[in-house]
Amino acid sequence: MPNRNADLVVTGGRIYTMDRRQPVVSALAVKSGRIVAVGDGAAVGPLTGPDTRIVDLKGATVTPGIVDVHTHMMMGGQAELFELRISPTSSFATLLERIEAAAANTPEGGWIIGGQWGSDLIGKLNTAESLAALDAATRGRPVMLRDDTYHNRWVNSEAMRRAGVSGANKDPEKGSIGRDPATGQPTGVMIESAAGIVERAVAQSGHFTEEMDRAAMAQSISTLNSFGVTAFLDAAAMQPILAALKGLDDRGELTAWALSAMPAVEPSFMFGIAGDELIAQRDRYRSAHAKPNYVKVFLDGVPGARTAAFHEPYVADPVLGCCFRGSTIVTVPDLVRWVGKCEKLGLGVKIHCAGDAAVSQALDAIDVVRSFNGPTGIIHHIAHASYIAPQDIPRFAELGVAADLSPFLWYPTSFLEGHKQTMGETRALRFWPNQDLLAAGALLAGGSDWPVMPNPDPWNGMEGLVTRRNPDGEFPGVALWLEQAIDIVTALEIFTINSARAIGMADTVGSLEIGKSADFIVLDRDVLETPSDEIADTRVSTTYFEGRVVYERA
Amino acid sequence: MSEPDAAVPVTLLTGFLGSGKTTVLNRLLRRPDMKGALVVVNEFGEVGLDHLLIEASEERFALLDNGCVCCTVRGDLVETLKDIDRRSAAGELPPVRRVLIETTGLADPAPILHTLMAEPQLSARYRLGEVVVTVDAVNGLATLQRHVEAARQAAVADRLLVTKTDLVNPADIAPIERRLRQLAPAAEIAFAVEGDIGSGDVAFEGGGSEGAHAERLAAALARAEAAIAHHAHDSGCGPECGRGGRHHHHDEHAHAHHGIQSYSFVIDKPVDWPAFAQWLDYIAVLKGEDLLRMKGIVNVAGEPERPCVIHGVQHVFHPPVRLEAWPSDDRRTRLVFIVRDIPRQTIERTLIKFAAVNAAEASGPARLTAA
Repeated sequence: MPNRNADLVVTGGRIYTMDRRQPVVSALAVKSGRIVAVGDGAAVGPLTGPDTRIVDLKGATVTPGIVDVHTHMMMGGQAELFELRISPTSSFATLLERIEAAAANTPEGGWIIGGQWGSDLIGKLNTAESLAALDAATRGRPVMLRDDTYHNRWVNSEAMRRAGVSGANKDPEKGSIGRDPATGQPTGVMIESAAGIVERAVAQSGHFTEEMDRAAMAQSISTLNSFGVTAFLDAAAMQPILAALKGLDDRGELTAWALSAMPAVEPSFMFGIAGDELIAQRDRYRSAHAKPNYVKVFLDGVPGARTAAFHEPYVADPVLGCCFRGSTIVTVPDLVRWVGKCEKLGLGVKIHCAGDAAVSQALDAIDVVRSFNGPTGIIHHIAHASYIAPQDIPRFAELGVAADLSPFLWYPTSFLEGHKQTMGETRALRFWPNQDLLAAGALLAGGSDWPVMPNPDPWNGMEGLVTRRNPDGEFPGVALWLEQAIDIVTALEIFTINSARAIGMADTVGSLEIGKSADFIVLDRDVLETPSDEIADTRVSTTYFEGRVVYERA
Repeated sequence: MSEPDAAVPVTLLTGFLGSGKTTVLNRLLRRPDMKGALVVVNEFGEVGLDHLLIEASEERFALLDNGCVCCTVRGDLVETLKDIDRRSAAGELPPVRRVLIETTGLADPAPILHTLMAEPQLSARYRLGEVVVTVDAVNGLATLQRHVEAARQAAVADRLLVTKTDLVNPADIAPIERRLRQLAPAAEIAFAVEGDIGSGDVAFEGGGSEGAHAERLAAALARAEAAIAHHAHDSGCGPECGRGGRHHHHDEHAHAHHGIQSYSFVIDKPVDWPAFAQWLDYIAVLKGEDLLRMKGIVNVAGEPERPCVIHGVQHVFHPPVRLEAWPSDDRRTRLVFIVRDIPRQTIERTLIKFAAVNAAEASGPARLTAA
């Protein structure tokens, strides 16, 4: 007779299952990574044997593992493990000192990659003199340094040589090569798409090996594990990311469910094959826990840079004039083509929509596909669903589209201040109508956009959802559109079961039910009973992924 | 179109294996009005034109004793047609007045049609004429039922030639004709005896004024309307067709036709062209694979005297052509669809939703009626 005993039993806890039929239990049992019992001592007792590991929670609170529907993995791990970390507030002198020190530790000919320099330094860097200083500091080693927006780079002469950049180069489309005002020669400042010229050279140089990619990915996942995340969706997964996820899973080292969205078009900040060519290879990168089930479409930019597409014009601007509304990068018919194609392949589409017109167009395109092809179980995502025309709110539920709430900007931040400048205060403040979406039956899912946004901590996000006030103490006394606040149970649902539904994994993750993956986290407090302005202080003590401890707080 | 004859019409001749294509082609080439025709075949031998060959001038081109030229396609049809044009201009070939492309019996004609409709390198010199499909009276019904390729060939036809009619009882012709009208309601059906396609008025469409083209389209649309209405009647379907228990009958029917169905729509009110054009884009993108053929004439809002002609094969649509005048008294928008597994409701619902077809107007909502 096979051994029926559970591998692990946790008891004596306050376990929020996020299963509405049985919302609070005290014990659960795990076998082979799956939950085999949920309830009280009596429910797990018969499954407890001599070989069962028993964990007494001593009254601690447990929730399902967090599902983050919007991350950019690997970048964070790469930066932590292999890159020169410079604070964006560093002075030019400090910047050079740090680079010089890094060069001393870099073998001759090896790349030095790092960041981030403050974008306010750009004028200072964009001179022949500064380039000479950078060349002197690096002594022949190629260097590439990103700025704090991730859009621009500063590189040295050796890096330009390797990337084939010289005085003869013309500016690329949607970018420019910085030139010294006196000599006209390139300074190594690479603006917007010009950054790609050097990034591509780095990517092709083999600087990052597959082994390094896997280590960086493992590092990134371990960071997320420490915040309780046990499933995520990488929102722009290029080939190295897909390979790293699959590579880790093949080695039994993937400690989270890893969904990924393959970019339909090469993004401005990542390099390599994209679109059909990448999508065609998806099954090479599929494994038990790594699932390339989405395609990413960037429909517009960001409000602060006036690149998001709105129905109403931005505040008048000397360059863009009185009536600039931003524009979408992809037309509705092209979006229809993408959504239609993806549905045929069984893939969801995650559509970046920062402005309300982009949201409308994304919904329009999905509406077209639904009208022709009928319903499907595939859930598409409107990413950063934040500025939404009132008439579009009910359409999320009607079309079965998930609102990807990311990043954590539903409280006053410096971003919001930027939006006020470009959009005018009244409109800027109508940001994140979460309660309206909820009331209209929309599926809300939570995401961090880490590390594009520095904070992956979902508890910070949940506090913000509840209070609409900045959990870090900035902008004291100010709330953002308080009517849109939601309660903590809903916030927790958003970051667990709702996100699981949104990524098509609700039969496996998102709640603690028999048959589901034993992904759960032990918290240092009862998050449902914690004063709302302390939710962000919640710390994860232990993270379990498939019944294994993948993070334990020291 | 100021010079309708500037472009050489290209006729596509297809038909299932053994349906009598070659016999038809041989007969056709003997007709005096086929002078100046250039025949494109896959292989000389396969078509059995040997007795017409007088000299094989070189590998790919052969002059026939009736003055026609026969040419084999090797690889790319686009390159072949460009080559023909080049040689014709250089005087290496007699002037080409029309091109006949004969496909193999199993070929799906759609890719060839796409090439002719949408290849910009060809559009200046060639234009798509008719799609002529042979169906034999002896085995045709069984073949259509058994082979989806045969049904798809028939579904895209402008002209259906029923061959070998002399080998069957006249009574056996009616069922096949009925089946063909269901598969290709807009097509003209003719009957051939021993490959003789009969009277001279069965002219393979070639040249002719814009008015003549338009009249043929109007006739085709009228045929489709009648055929579909007749079919609905045959099936015991009245105006309520498609509802309740009768629906089942239709589904079975679709099954017997490999899911191929045809619909005809009439829209009374002028159509908002930008919305309609967008709807065409959408259906091409999302349903192109199953849209075997679609043609129509559109009464464009604001341009009541100048209807627009549309024509699509799968995901490829011919650029819409604006006519100078209506070809008949019927000035309603008429659309014919031959589809595989696209429910009628999908077309109707999306037309209403995205082509602004039933927008409430002062005189009442536009009527979208099934013929």
